[in-house]
Amino acid sequence: MILAAPGRALAQDIEGDAANGKSIFNSQCAACHKLDKKVVGPALGDVTQRRSTEWLVSWIKDNAALRASGDADANAIFEEFNGLAMPAFPQLSDQDIKDVLAYTIEGNKPAEVVPGTETAPVEAEADNTVYLYILGVLLLFMVVLLARVKNTLKLVKGQPTTTMMEDANVFTRTALKNPRVVTVLTIFIAVVFFQQLYVNLMAVNVDAGYQPSQPIKFSHELHAGQNEIDCNYCHSGARKSKHSNIPSANVCMNCHMYVSEGPKYGTEEISKIYDAVGWDAEKGAYIEDYEQKPIKWVRIHKLPDLAYFNHSQHVTAGQIKCQTCHGPVEEMEEVYQYSDLTMGWCINCHRETKVQVESNDYYEEMHAKLKEKYGADAKVTVEMIGGLECGKCHY
Amino acid sequence: MAENKKYWRGISELENPELVQSLSEQEFPSNIPAEEFLGNQDNLESTHTSRRDFLKYMGFTTAAATLAACESPVYESLPYVVAPEEIIPGIANYYATSYYDGHDYASVLIKTREGRPIKVENNREAKMNGGANTRVHASVLNLYDATRLQNPMVKGESSDWASLDAGVKKGLLAAEAAGKQVVVLTSSVISPSQKALIKKFGESYSNFRHVSFDPMSYSNKLDAWKEVTGKRALGLYNFANAKAIVSVGADFLGNWVGQSVAGDYAKNRVPGEGMSRHFQFEAGLSLTGSNADKRHKVKAAEYGAVLVGLYNEIASAKGLATVSGSSVLKSEVKAAAQELLAAGKNGLVVCGGNSKANEHLCIAINQMLGNTEVTVSHKNRSYLRQGDDKAIQALITDMKAGNVGAVITHNLNPAYVLSGNADFKAGYAKVPTTVAVSMKSDETAKLSAFVAAENHYLESWGDFSPADMHYSLQQPTIKTLFSTRQFEDCLMSWSGMGGSYLDFIKSNWNAGILGSTDWTKVLHDGVFVKSSAVAEEMAADTEMEEGGISIDVAVSASDALATAKKAPSMELNFSQLTGMGVGTIANNPWLLEFPDPISRVSWDNYLSVAAADAAELGLKNWNESNGALNGSVVNLQVGSKTLENVPVFIQPGQTIGTACLAVGFGRDGAGEVADKVGVNAFQLMGMDHSAEVKISPVEGAEHKFACIQLAHTMMGRDIVKEVSLNTFLNEPAQNGHDGWNEPPIFNTYKGPLVGDDVNLWDDFDHETGHMWNMSIDLNLCNGCGACVIACHSENNVPVVGKDEMRKHRDMHWLRIDRYYSSDVTKENADELGYEGIGLLGKGATDMYADMEKPSESPEVFFQPVMCQHCNHAPCETVCPVAATTHSAEGLNHMTYNRCIGTRYCANNCPYKVRRFNWFQYHDNTMGMFKENYAMNEDLGRMVLNPDVTVRSRGVMEKCSMCIQRTQLGKLEAKKRGVALKDGDVQTACQSACDTGAIVFGDVNDKKSQVFNLKQDKRMYHLLGSVGTQPSVFYQVKVRNTTA
Repeated sequence: MILAAPGRALAQDIEGDAANGKSIFNSQCAACHKLDKKVVGPALGDVTQRRSTEWLVSWIKDNAALRASGDADANAIFEEFNGLAMPAFPQLSDQDIKDVLAYTIEGNKPAEVVPGTETAPVEAEADNTVYLYILGVLLLFMVVLLARVKNTLKLVKGQPTTTMMEDANVFTRTALKNPRVVTVLTIFIAVVFFQQLYVNLMAVNVDAGYQPSQPIKFSHELHAGQNEIDCNYCHSGARKSKHSNIPSANVCMNCHMYVSEGPKYGTEEISKIYDAVGWDAEKGAYIEDYEQKPIKWVRIHKLPDLAYFNHSQHVTAGQIKCQTCHGPVEEMEEVYQYSDLTMGWCINCHRETKVQVESNDYYEEMHAKLKEKYGADAKVTVEMIGGLECGKCHY
Repeated sequence: MAENKKYWRGISELENPELVQSLSEQEFPSNIPAEEFLGNQDNLESTHTSRRDFLKYMGFTTAAATLAACESPVYESLPYVVAPEEIIPGIANYYATSYYDGHDYASVLIKTREGRPIKVENNREAKMNGGANTRVHASVLNLYDATRLQNPMVKGESSDWASLDAGVKKGLLAAEAAGKQVVVLTSSVISPSQKALIKKFGESYSNFRHVSFDPMSYSNKLDAWKEVTGKRALGLYNFANAKAIVSVGADFLGNWVGQSVAGDYAKNRVPGEGMSRHFQFEAGLSLTGSNADKRHKVKAAEYGAVLVGLYNEIASAKGLATVSGSSVLKSEVKAAAQELLAAGKNGLVVCGGNSKANEHLCIAINQMLGNTEVTVSHKNRSYLRQGDDKAIQALITDMKAGNVGAVITHNLNPAYVLSGNADFKAGYAKVPTTVAVSMKSDETAKLSAFVAAENHYLESWGDFSPADMHYSLQQPTIKTLFSTRQFEDCLMSWSGMGGSYLDFIKSNWNAGILGSTDWTKVLHDGVFVKSSAVAEEMAADTEMEEGGISIDVAVSASDALATAKKAPSMELNFSQLTGMGVGTIANNPWLLEFPDPISRVSWDNYLSVAAADAAELGLKNWNESNGALNGSVVNLQVGSKTLENVPVFIQPGQTIGTACLAVGFGRDGAGEVADKVGVNAFQLMGMDHSAEVKISPVEGAEHKFACIQLAHTMMGRDIVKEVSLNTFLNEPAQNGHDGWNEPPIFNTYKGPLVGDDVNLWDDFDHETGHMWNMSIDLNLCNGCGACVIACHSENNVPVVGKDEMRKHRDMHWLRIDRYYSSDVTKENADELGYEGIGLLGKGATDMYADMEKPSESPEVFFQPVMCQHCNHAPCETVCPVAATTHSAEGLNHMTYNRCIGTRYCANNCPYKVRRFNWFQYHDNTMGMFKENYAMNEDLGRMVLNPDVTVRSRGVMEKCSMCIQRTQLGKLEAKKRGVALKDGDVQTACQSACDTGAIVFGDVNDKKSQVFNLKQDKRMYHLLGSVGTQPSVFYQVKVRNTTA
């Protein structure tokens, strides 16, 4: 304790929730800072050893004000990073900042692999099956037990005993001789067979759950979930066009010019973007006359050519959330097809979804007439304005 | 002696010819023991594969194949690496540009998707030639023609630009060194920058000439104008001011001097007071003649005589000196002259052909009418035709004499258009350096030492000045697809100027054209009219009227009359078909499959003759049992030139003693699709547009036509309703309806009801939301067919080829029916002596048979027919799978993926507008339908509209009223949060129509144009008595006649 460096002593002052700090760090700081490496800003792993907590709090809240107050350290850092100003974070409370600082200490320790945490939810599901098995064994055991009891009772009464197999044989033979039983059985088997056949045939070409592996291990969970990047930032076509385009690599570069390392795969995956556009990460510049290589993403959602689907109709005019059809993408590490994308699925939504008639002048006249027809309070669904007509999607 | 040589296929044939002979007669050298095997019961029984085994194997393979097919393929999706700023995938971009191919000029908008040009639209901003014709609308397909030259050629071998440039430069230097002429041979050059460049190019040579030649020459006409205005250019016509039009052989709505006048002409064809009156004197039935109020048949040689007659009538009425007269069609000419006199300065006389005397007379008549600067401008001149017959003759002479060292051709295919001139070919062979700048390995390119592969116009920069004060720009809409270069870049390279042509145009425009206008604005608009004060100037300046220029009319008149006197007993007129023109973009299957508006024949040209001449010569047209048309075949002789195996088509309205043959066909080198289609009329043609011809039938030969219209008259039914202007204006309404447009009345339990009010069905709610309707004005439609091509291009309609067309399996969603009037009508049947059922003479059966025959001088009706989108649709009720259903917006939907191809709907459709995919017209793995390259080749497929499904075999298709456009229009309004305005949604046919005949819109919008048209007293439904309540309606045709 006595030998500990002053920095350590400073660090020990910090009472923060490292878990909360991690999430704040990931959403607010990670774009420019890493714990172990200088990126846009300095490495923060040992920042608590370099600076006092008070200084750090005032720097993070409003570094410009700190610099203006003539703080020598603050101005020195500003100079060191070529006048690249760090944004102010007035929205963070002192405790938030302390949490972040706590995380910088916690997170800088050598990583300890905690086994089992990731598989926990899987176990929870497996439990159910185990219980079912146990239940099944129990029931079987009870059947055997009952048979034994029955035989014991017969023994006591002096009647001839039968084995379970003999009983079953007799039962089956009598049952199969009874035409009613046979009929019921046949009907039952046929119904099950055809139901299963129907279900299986209907599932042909329904690719819900399709989760191909992509050339780049791009995580929507990280980008859309943790970093809360708006879907439309990358898929900008969705608002304007029939296609919600896969972003071109130059859109990736808007951020990844600065963010060259990911939390999970390090530089490995991000360097694939650099390879596509020709970015020299060392020099921080585009390579001249580079032959650019398009990234060959694997398409997940594909409607047949005979169906016309327009994203902007749904996103801009209909104000439907992306998640309605694409599922919780912000939670998907790897994207999969969430919805069936079958015609029944489309139609069902058109029956249930309310049209944005109030906020849009286009519908004004139509809405007035619809109110006359269906009553003022009626919910105007897509169906009512012709959204189930064949030619609206097939032409 | 080459022909006596005998070749052996091998040494054995030489040594043992008998054996080889006997072997070659047998396909299999030893007998196949099929008989023995199948006839022997024991053998059959001992085989290993029993019938049951066979079924097992088959069952297994089927099951295995089915299972294997269940796996979905993996699709890759490649985004841009760096996305271009202006491209959003899925959204179309439009660019204004200009089309010019040496013959047709138009100012157009190009629709591009993801960087691919896919559609040509009219440029509504344009003050001149903003209405593109069929050829221009189809021109986008030629961009994706795989038979285009993909790299330069030197001496018939594929080469590269470096060696071509070196070769051409060497040739040019050699020509200069030898003191021989260097010639640039083009069609009319209307580009100011190109003209400047050619001039600059020529400055390096002491003996340079630029020769212009038009395939359809108007050289003598131009000479006549030079004598009048001092400038060798035709006056600009203003049909918007013309109230009385007399055309003597000028097919101004179809193919004439290049100025597009249909839009202006239509402005005065709206029925009512002030509707224009149009007289046509012509030899063959032209598009313009079909639209005339009065059409008179006259030989082309007598055009001059008609003009002399007109001159005299007007001169004597005005108290001016007359010339010695003529006696051709006296009363008809007099009627026309009176109309012209009444119209005064709003009268207009135009003439066709390539005659100086006729044009002089025409100018003189117009001057007497005082219409200068009103309907015809002398100050503003058109430069669309500049060709000089004398210059080309001189060039041919020089080439033959060996005085020409180098010829560079561009926008002209002289070896083809001068194929009737044997001297040209001989002369061209004597030129040491021949350079063809061409998109195709065409007739000229094949004779040339160097072929510079040229850009398509959608890959090129350019500027045009089609007339005084009018300018337009051409900009590339796609990067060059192949290793090609535009003509101007070639010239700049050969002259060693360097730099880019775009910079050259810019500096040229900044120097003399733009003034204070911004280049970017002109590039955006595509067009630029130099000064708005011109119109006022035109009105103010009357200096040239009233004999301001002295033309010796007497000389011209005697020339004209002399020509008329020499009129041949059989005269051949060289015409142009609406879909082909002079054949500049011949290898275009859309155009080849386009049925000619008059004859309704596709994939052919033919000799049109009058029925009387046909009977005399023993020529026939007859139909096979399946309706396909066959015709006799003739050989033609003009002077010493002959053309063999020309099919004959009997054309109502053809002047007796004349025949017409269209140019632009019979190609060799235009491309796979166009080559060998039809016969090459240029082989017979000189500089004149007509010649004396000798027709000799070819015994026993017959030609198979692809004519898609079987019935030529309406047979007494009012499919096209017509009324004279007099009746239209003066006849009072009867029963609340005008007598000339009475709707069908049905007697019901509620009493007599109008067809539209009789109802067996539960109606849709057509009040809420949109109700799309279309109005087609039969008065404004001139049958030009631009809409047909626009529809073809917009809706991915397949091309099916001649054989299928012959079986009436055309796939056009929109057709233009053409009907002729008949001499016999139900009204005049009694007068003509048809009585009863005809036991004693002519009866009802004869009457109906005769009603099928068109008159010798018929009136012509055009009627565009597409799916009528019936609100009580007969097709919908008979579909067993509900593949065709109705929408609340008044449209009849066709769901291709639901259709199982029973064709019940087509059989139940009274309008016959449904089209069935008999074959897989796209991606045809059997190698059929090669002519449909827009769907069977990777390159061609780039032209397809990505918003419209390509239909597969076995499904029905039809007009969707461009539902992709209505949906897009609605969506754009929704996205912006505004109400849909009238005109925001236009169908492809509507936007292609230059005359405004087609109007589409929402009739629930009471301010819309289509709503007003629906209330018009001319409105009627096609076959109204069927009670289908269509969403498409027509406006009665009104001819400006007194009867």
